[in-house]
Amino acid sequence: MSWLRTAISRMTAMFRRRRLDCELDEELRAHLEMAAEENRRRGMTEEEAGQKALRDFGGVTQVRERVRLREGMPLLENLQRDGSYALRMLRKSPGFAAVAIGSLALGIGANTAIFSIAKAALLDRLQVPHAGELRLLAWRSKRQSVVHSSWGDWDKTADGVSSTSFSYPVYLQMRKQNHALADLFAFKNLGRVNVTVDGEAEVVQGDLVSGNFYEQMEVRPQLGRPIGPADDEKPGGSPVATISDGYWTRRFNRSPSVIGKTILVNLVNVTVVGVNPRGFTGAKGTQSSPEIFMPFSMQPLVFPYSRETSLLTSDRVWWMQMMARARPGVDEAKARAALDVALKSAVRATMTVKPEESMPDLVLGDGSRGMNEASRQLAHPLLVLMSLVGLVVLLACANMANLLLARSAARQREMGVRLALGAGRARILRQMLTESVLLSVLGGLMGLAVGYFGRNAILAMFSSPADPTTIQGSFDWGVFGFNAALSVVTGILFGVGPALDATRTQVTSTLKDAAQTTTRRRKGFAGRAIVGFQVALSTLLVVVAGVFLRTIINLSRVDPGFDPRNIVLFELRPPQTEYPGAKEAALFQLIVERLRAVPGVESVTPTSVAPLSHSYENDDFLPEGRKQGHDDIADNSTVGDEYFATFRIPIVAGRGFAETDTETSPKVAVVNQALAKQFFPGQNPVGKSFTTSDEKDNKLMYQIVGVCADTRYGSLRENPPPVFYVDYRQAPAINWGMTFAVKTRTSRAAIAPSLRRAMQSVDRNLPLTDVRTQEEQIGELLQNEHVFADLTAGFGIVALMLACIGIYGLMAYAVSRRTNEIGIRMALGARAEQVLGMILREAVWMTAIGVAVGLGCALAVGRLIASQLYGLQAWDPVTLSGAALLLVAVALGASWIPARRAAAVDPSRALRES
Amino acid sequence: MGEGKPDLLQGTLDLMVLKTLETMGPQHGYGIARRIEQISEQALRLNQGTIYPALLRLRQRGWIRAEWGTSENGRKARYYTLTKTGKAQIDTETESWERVAATMARFLAVSEGR
Repeated sequence: MSWLRTAISRMTAMFRRRRLDCELDEELRAHLEMAAEENRRRGMTEEEAGQKALRDFGGVTQVRERVRLREGMPLLENLQRDGSYALRMLRKSPGFAAVAIGSLALGIGANTAIFSIAKAALLDRLQVPHAGELRLLAWRSKRQSVVHSSWGDWDKTADGVSSTSFSYPVYLQMRKQNHALADLFAFKNLGRVNVTVDGEAEVVQGDLVSGNFYEQMEVRPQLGRPIGPADDEKPGGSPVATISDGYWTRRFNRSPSVIGKTILVNLVNVTVVGVNPRGFTGAKGTQSSPEIFMPFSMQPLVFPYSRETSLLTSDRVWWMQMMARARPGVDEAKARAALDVALKSAVRATMTVKPEESMPDLVLGDGSRGMNEASRQLAHPLLVLMSLVGLVVLLACANMANLLLARSAARQREMGVRLALGAGRARILRQMLTESVLLSVLGGLMGLAVGYFGRNAILAMFSSPADPTTIQGSFDWGVFGFNAALSVVTGILFGVGPALDATRTQVTSTLKDAAQTTTRRRKGFAGRAIVGFQVALSTLLVVVAGVFLRTIINLSRVDPGFDPRNIVLFELRPPQTEYPGAKEAALFQLIVERLRAVPGVESVTPTSVAPLSHSYENDDFLPEGRKQGHDDIADNSTVGDEYFATFRIPIVAGRGFAETDTETSPKVAVVNQALAKQFFPGQNPVGKSFTTSDEKDNKLMYQIVGVCADTRYGSLRENPPPVFYVDYRQAPAINWGMTFAVKTRTSRAAIAPSLRRAMQSVDRNLPLTDVRTQEEQIGELLQNEHVFADLTAGFGIVALMLACIGIYGLMAYAVSRRTNEIGIRMALGARAEQVLGMILREAVWMTAIGVAVGLGCALAVGRLIASQLYGLQAWDPVTLSGAALLLVAVALGASWIPARRAAAVDPSRALRES
Repeated sequence: MGEGKPDLLQGTLDLMVLKTLETMGPQHGYGIARRIEQISEQALRLNQGTIYPALLRLRQRGWIRAEWGTSENGRKARYYTLTKTGKAQIDTETESWERVAATMARFLAVSEGR
């Protein structure tokens, strides 16, 4: 094991370097003295004796070197020495170090932050065993499908619709007939529910799960018991719930006494029986967990769906989601076919299928990420962000490359001297390598910090108070490692490359300044190429920032068609058990009266669809005398008498609603201009009638009494769709509770308490939830666009700064190297302005090429982001030319100082100092 | 200036140092070098300094041990002593040398016999 002993001895020797050196010196000195003494005894003079001793010994320095080489770990020690030297060099040029490290940190940090978020949103899987086995069931059909009433996903595809929602009776039947996949289990995200714990009420997210949910998901609670099949048998028979780990921590302080505790969920007593394990988020998504889980049997009590006695028995409403595990070895095509047959037979057994309606086809999708909504909504924007931030990293690396090139060219003399003094080429290269790697490491460390805080900042930008699905996910070390490696490679390439070159040339030529001409030209090209690359990237980033900024500006300027100022919105879901049927309408009437009496309130209206909140409702619309076709559907909203007045929507023909429109008077409706154009082209719709259906598919006839102006409905991007309005007293069905809109004369903060008091005077237990202003609602709508504009603007600014620094550095270096040439020019008669012009022209020329390349790239990739823009094309000429001008201006500004310096060169001095 | 010396030379120097210490007992570097010069009857023209890397090597392998002591004329010098493992190493090396010598002798005898 002698090599082991040697290794240990060498490692420990590292720490006693100085003492070992001393000892060796003493030993060698003793040797030489003893040798000299013996020579003297033989009869030589003192001088001769000493010289012979030295000769016999051989080279003292060489022996010392050889011993030292064996003693410590020379590689590590040299590294340490190189490192401290590199640090000293960096401290001497703080500007260079700051820029290089700063730009690296920004690039790496931003990239890591965004990639971490993207990965979490797009790739994270549900934290259950074998998530890859999970299959999410969905169905597809032509536009006119058997399903008329749905709650949940409803995607319009190219030729029809697709959805993940099924009715409960269909689920039960399919479960019985399923033999291909593992047991079908069900879940439904209810959204917001009111929970009262120890008298304190709050709004949380709630899920319904089937009795076999926990068993099929293979999840066991960390405390208590899971929801089991026994809990899902009788409606209301087992009022139990399990809670999430986060909720347990937040609300119950992780106290074990939560098991068996009774809480109120939507005013219903429920007992907590279990706590989910940490990291379990239910089946809907991976990003955050609903706080409370209840069995489906609780639906009629806890989340009544107005006018339906129970969703568990409703054949009409399709609302809940199904999943099943596909065990390895299962033929999925066969399984899908079998389940498709089961679906169709279940539909025929539970519903009447009209001849023009198409049956749903079953689709088996990947369930490992839940319903994957975050991915669907954010996939495209995140990919765009990822590409942009990747460009920023490239820019940062290019910046570092440029800086390193300039520095190494400036240090050619130093390297020449070192070579002359006997340093090995490998040694010098190692030194340069250490410096570059040190830069990259420092940049990487700072990038770590930027990435960590940047990620939290960006997450905060994406989340909103209304939509609690915040993206979590941990810091991605893989991405960070990749970025760090990228910067290290750049550092090595551009730090060592020129050094390789320099050490290859003859020592004498590097010591003579005049010999720079040949080397300078080659370096000049590399430097120009890099700066050109930087300018091209910056142009691209500035163009992208420009279009996103203009998109958000355009969207903000869209006229919604109504006046959103000073309108307070809140949600109301009266429990069905207390306010069934007609009592609900009476409740709304009372609320409107009480709220209107509050000082500062101008008008109050309930509305089933809150404007511009991504909320939609649609129903059949069949004008009288026409046969049922395929497109007879229109968006609608159930509103109050003062709806048009509250939102300041002009009535262009006929009238709005009035108190005289009651439950017993003839049913009337108001339509908007878009509907009139689509269904009654060229005619006056006032006085005409149409039929629509209620939740039991009864046909109800309404007469149109007025036409209102068009407004935006669900989002600002879509043009105003055809909409018809009915009064809540005459509405076919109220499904969702209502949003109340209160037009106020004062600001919201002042009025909210008075509104709450008014509501309490109607019914103490009616909670006022989701209080916000209409303007805040619109702001939430535009949140993604805001985030994009902010982030891309940030990237654009960083890109401009880096390009500016790159251009400045290059021009400054070029000018300093060409002082000789400039001196000659001026001596030969060139004027200062001419020199100035020459430098500026060079800078602009180089920038122009970079800009052209950048614009070309912008045009090429414009298609990829076109879907996110609004109001302008991706190749919008104004933005493109604006970006080009901006870059040229930056180039001029950056090269101004070096140009001034060139113009101020004193020819005589320049010629003297070569 | 590297470790390019052939292993054979290194090995022989190591063995010579070990053998010297075995015969002479504890000795300082100069003493060892002089003794090697004498025994080889000046046939080996080694610079005396080359003994020090060898001594360090032997020390790292644990075959010899170093201590500071006083020389014959009262000077501070580092004395090297053979260790037990070093003694065993001598036997191993001697055996391998004798084997090499015997093989070489056979080869030379063969060519002579022609």
